[in-house]
Amino acid sequence: MTGTNQRQLEIDAISKRYGDTVAVEELSFDVRAGELFGFVGRNGAGKTTTMRVVLGVLAADRGEVRWSGRPLDFKTRRRIGYMPEERGLYPKMRIAEQLTYLGELHGMAGRDAAAAALQWLERFDLAERRNAELQTLSLGNQQRIQLAAALVFSPEVLVLDEPFAGLDPVAVDVLSEVLRERAEAGVAVIFSSHELELVERICDRVGIVDHGHLVAIGSVEDLRRGGPVRLWVDGPAAGEDWLQDVPGATVIQEHGSRRLVELAPGGNDQAVLQAALRTGPVREFRPAEQSLGELFRGYIEEDQR
Amino acid sequence: MSVTSPAGNSPRPLPAVILVARREILVRLRSRTFATFTLVMAVLVVIGIVAASLLNGPAAPAPAPAVRVGFSGGSQALEQSFESVAALLSVDVSVSDISDEAAGRAQLTAGKLDMLVTGSATAPEAAVTDAVPAMAVIALDAATQTARLSAAGLPPSAVTSVMSGVPLEHVQLPETSPSESTTNVLGALGVCIVLYITLGAYGQFVAQGVVEEKATRMMEVLLASVRPSELLAGKVLGIGFVAILQLAIVGSAALITVELTRGASIPALGLGYVVAYLAWFVLGYLMYATALAAVAVLVSRPEEVAYATAPVTVGLVFSYLLMFVALSDPTNPVIVVLSMVPPCSPILMTLRIAYGVAPLWQVFVAMVLTIAAIVGLTWVAGRTYANSAMRFGARVRFLDALSGRRST
Repeated sequence: MTGTNQRQLEIDAISKRYGDTVAVEELSFDVRAGELFGFVGRNGAGKTTTMRVVLGVLAADRGEVRWSGRPLDFKTRRRIGYMPEERGLYPKMRIAEQLTYLGELHGMAGRDAAAAALQWLERFDLAERRNAELQTLSLGNQQRIQLAAALVFSPEVLVLDEPFAGLDPVAVDVLSEVLRERAEAGVAVIFSSHELELVERICDRVGIVDHGHLVAIGSVEDLRRGGPVRLWVDGPAAGEDWLQDVPGATVIQEHGSRRLVELAPGGNDQAVLQAALRTGPVREFRPAEQSLGELFRGYIEEDQR
Repeated sequence: MSVTSPAGNSPRPLPAVILVARREILVRLRSRTFATFTLVMAVLVVIGIVAASLLNGPAAPAPAPAVRVGFSGGSQALEQSFESVAALLSVDVSVSDISDEAAGRAQLTAGKLDMLVTGSATAPEAAVTDAVPAMAVIALDAATQTARLSAAGLPPSAVTSVMSGVPLEHVQLPETSPSESTTNVLGALGVCIVLYITLGAYGQFVAQGVVEEKATRMMEVLLASVRPSELLAGKVLGIGFVAILQLAIVGSAALITVELTRGASIPALGLGYVVAYLAWFVLGYLMYATALAAVAVLVSRPEEVAYATAPVTVGLVFSYLLMFVALSDPTNPVIVVLSMVPPCSPILMTLRIAYGVAPLWQVFVAMVLTIAAIVGLTWVAGRTYANSAMRFGARVRFLDALSGRRST
């Protein structure tokens, strides 16, 4: 893969092993500026390793990470806002000072950093506690400070490892809003999460990683298109064998008279409808959209095989 | 949300090393530990100096009182000659005429006279108390002999020639000669103990600070924006600044106390010496702090710090123990050699400087070797930092951290 000079984060064939354990293998994808990218996978799939490699806190054995077509170096990495999986801030430092310090370390002048720190504290409703030590805050509030630490210097790229973990529903909404807003402002945002509904709701694209490999990438729409077609059919008069004559169609779930039918690739949904109508009235016939969760399980099982 | 862009026309951002150092300074100066530690050290040093000055009485001995000599009768002719010889011999005398011998004896027994001279100028007799220094008696002998030579008919020029003393050359001892005074030993000991405590304490602060950043995972956030070497340098310099500030406070307390207790004759506490101690503190601190940071970064939990830093701490403790050998025998060849070699040089050389037994060239060699050690340790710490700052969990083996390989 050759670099492009578009504003995008390119993760190009990175591999990383810990001893004999493969953390990631030939992993490639990119995140464009202005895009909200969800990174999902089971625990130990390689998400955190990938993010650490992007931030340069971990060196990849092979592969390269580029921003705007150029390999990331120390200077460009400073334009990345990072929230590590294991939260890291000074427990005994005052929160506003802590955010200001991080802003300055990322190249802001002191006064600008202090102003930005205060703005983010206001945004997360913590301005009144600006002089509190981090350790005196609740875990949820500490999490907000950790997010503010990644945001304070207006990064061009945001890499957030499980930013929603441990947040209350209100905080989840605030953070979703902030991430959307940052993406709209042209920031490339990548975050990992196990909250698949949330990822489905807010992300432009999703990458599913398993055993260090990227097993699927695209919008949730794209992923659905790649999967099997499923239909909800409600025919109260239909018996056990009503689908017998439709090749490639199988009932995979039954809820009373409602049945979920899965079609093999190339299957004919109209043949299913006709088979249902032959048994009597049909009250419901509609495509069943798979949730990201279902898609995810599908990909993981496929990868297992 | 609009946030001021760092790329705007705002003032230039500060270098990372300064930012890291500034944070260390602010956080530590604000902590109660600093205030308490400084106060305790200052109080101990002041108490030490006061105790030492009480133990030794006034440091500068009071000038001996003048020897009171009374002359009666014919011996009064000796007075002038006696006074001039006494002056040559540096004996302070006060001469008086005594009307008769009995009155003189009465004054002698009443303690109002130290020496009573009676009889003639050529055959005087003298009664003295214990307080009379030998030099006063010699002066009287010389005056009498001069009188006898004159009485025997020798011309005055011959008398002067006979009585002229052997010319003496007073040799100024070099400054580096060992001073045996107890106060100086105590001063040197005090300086070295303060140095040892400060090196140990601030070295440990560095080690704990490094591990704290690993334990709280702050390291991961920091290393995304700061180079390991910058983080290390900022921490060592920031904590070092706090240490020097504390030493300045404790040192001022010490100097003021020395002034007030008139212990100013303790050469080990002179201003020039204090500057030398400070230089050695800076070198010792840089050496030990860098070494401690290099090994502390191998572990991830605060409770492992002591274990990880033990190899370095042993060097410090070893030189502290040697200090007691050096106290009694500062010119011992083993001590002389070790005082030039890291890791012992900061403490042992400071002690030898305090004693005034360190030739300049040895101080120079010790400084060059210590600076070389600091440079080497900075390289080592850079390696171990880069290779183990992001390795959490089990302790990273030192050689693995140095070579960058993983033994797992």
